[in-house]
Amino acid sequence: MKPHIRHLNKLRWISLTGIFLVLILLPCISVYQAYVAAHAYDLLTPSEQLFYDVMETLTDPFVSDPEHDLDAVKGTTWAATVFDVKVSDPLAVVGQVSAGLEIYPSFLLAALIPVIVTLMFGRIFCGWICPATLLYELNTNLAAWLHRVGLPVGNRHFDRRLKYLVLGIGVILSMITGSVLFAAVYPPAIIGREIYYAIALGGFGAGAVFFVLTLLFDLLVARRGFCRYVCPGGALYSLLGRYRVLRIQRKVETCNDCAKCTAVCEFELNPMRDGFGQECNNCTACIAVCPTDALVFKVDIKDIPNQGPGHLGRHYRENEY
Amino acid sequence: MLGRPSYSLNEDSTTPPSMQVETQIGDYYVTYMVFPAFPSPNQPGRVNLYASRIDDGRPFDGEVAFKVRDDSLFNDDEELLGVQLPDDNVFRQGFEFREAGNFIVRAEFEAGGEPYQIDFPLQIGEPARWGPLGLTVAAIMVLLITVNFVQRNRLISDKIRSGRQDRAG
Repeated sequence: MKPHIRHLNKLRWISLTGIFLVLILLPCISVYQAYVAAHAYDLLTPSEQLFYDVMETLTDPFVSDPEHDLDAVKGTTWAATVFDVKVSDPLAVVGQVSAGLEIYPSFLLAALIPVIVTLMFGRIFCGWICPATLLYELNTNLAAWLHRVGLPVGNRHFDRRLKYLVLGIGVILSMITGSVLFAAVYPPAIIGREIYYAIALGGFGAGAVFFVLTLLFDLLVARRGFCRYVCPGGALYSLLGRYRVLRIQRKVETCNDCAKCTAVCEFELNPMRDGFGQECNNCTACIAVCPTDALVFKVDIKDIPNQGPGHLGRHYRENEY
Repeated sequence: MLGRPSYSLNEDSTTPPSMQVETQIGDYYVTYMVFPAFPSPNQPGRVNLYASRIDDGRPFDGEVAFKVRDDSLFNDDEELLGVQLPDDNVFRQGFEFREAGNFIVRAEFEAGGEPYQIDFPLQIGEPARWGPLGLTVAAIMVLLITVNFVQRNRLISDKIRSGRQDRAG
């Protein structure tokens, strides 16, 4: 029987899809609340009336006063209120503090939960929550399919420290301009905002163009290139998660050196040689693909140094370690 | 924006409902209302704007220019709707659009030597839901979902093969 841990990757896909759907649902609720507050059903256009009817059907079993009762969850993954608890992306806090040159204690408090979770589980926001990850991973799968049918896809490599430079430059520019510039180039913030624009305001903005360009960058230049080389949020989460408590480790006794884990890792890490580092987002794709269940979660603040070839691998057996 | 648009009048009012947006900018607290809330093409409407200082509540008493532009990407063509002086502390700007669409009304004024520009949304009738950008995004989403769904059984082996070749250079 396969261990349950192998199914974590499926759970992760459910999480990513669920969060994306919530990001679509929230502006729908917001618009519906506005219509209810206006008491203006008769003034709505036919498509708006249809929208109203659908939302009323969906929410009626759960709330009696939609104008006020549907306020439990508001916002996006950039900043949100969840049952009166304010939660904010740590990058939003870094950006705001840089732009305002002032510490905002309540804002710091809003980032406390994500920071603690990152200190515990590492870059888990990137792998399990980020709405852009869902689209980037679908895009990677598209690239793999295009590659199979013989079309060229991007496989260039850059220095992954580039994203730390982007983070640093973003902080400096925010301090100079007084604007939270990260919000303009940070895919999760862009997606939340653009979905809201599309549903509540009837069209996409410039952020959608930027996000499409990042998809093309991933497809034509470097696999998962934006997350690996550019994303300032990924850089911040990597730094926070450097000494994460929970990390994936290889059981060298059961590893057969098939290298599927290394091939499937979209962040170009090397699980087969114990190379996880601070970049790992605990996505568990390597665990799901491992045929010998040699990858497991361990509580440890450091990776194990390279343990050498897997004991079930041909290289290990031929050299009689 | 401080929140979603709210509405100032209830169902018992004999006045058509207005869409209301409130925002803070610089030293001012600005309220913007559209009458009716959902104007149609060839139907006269009105924008009311009220601006007061945040510190002492004193209403702004200069003049406000109202401009309008089509709310589409890369569109900078702006048309002056009018320049208004306050009438009982309210700046009233009438309008009548011939076509449905999403528009941005920009209110401009100068106070304390500082220029103020505030953009507000204005929807006329039922504009087309899908512009060129919306269609592009929709097409990409359909492509991503379709390929991932149709190829779901081969994706892991494709990813492993692609990943190996990617690393090989």
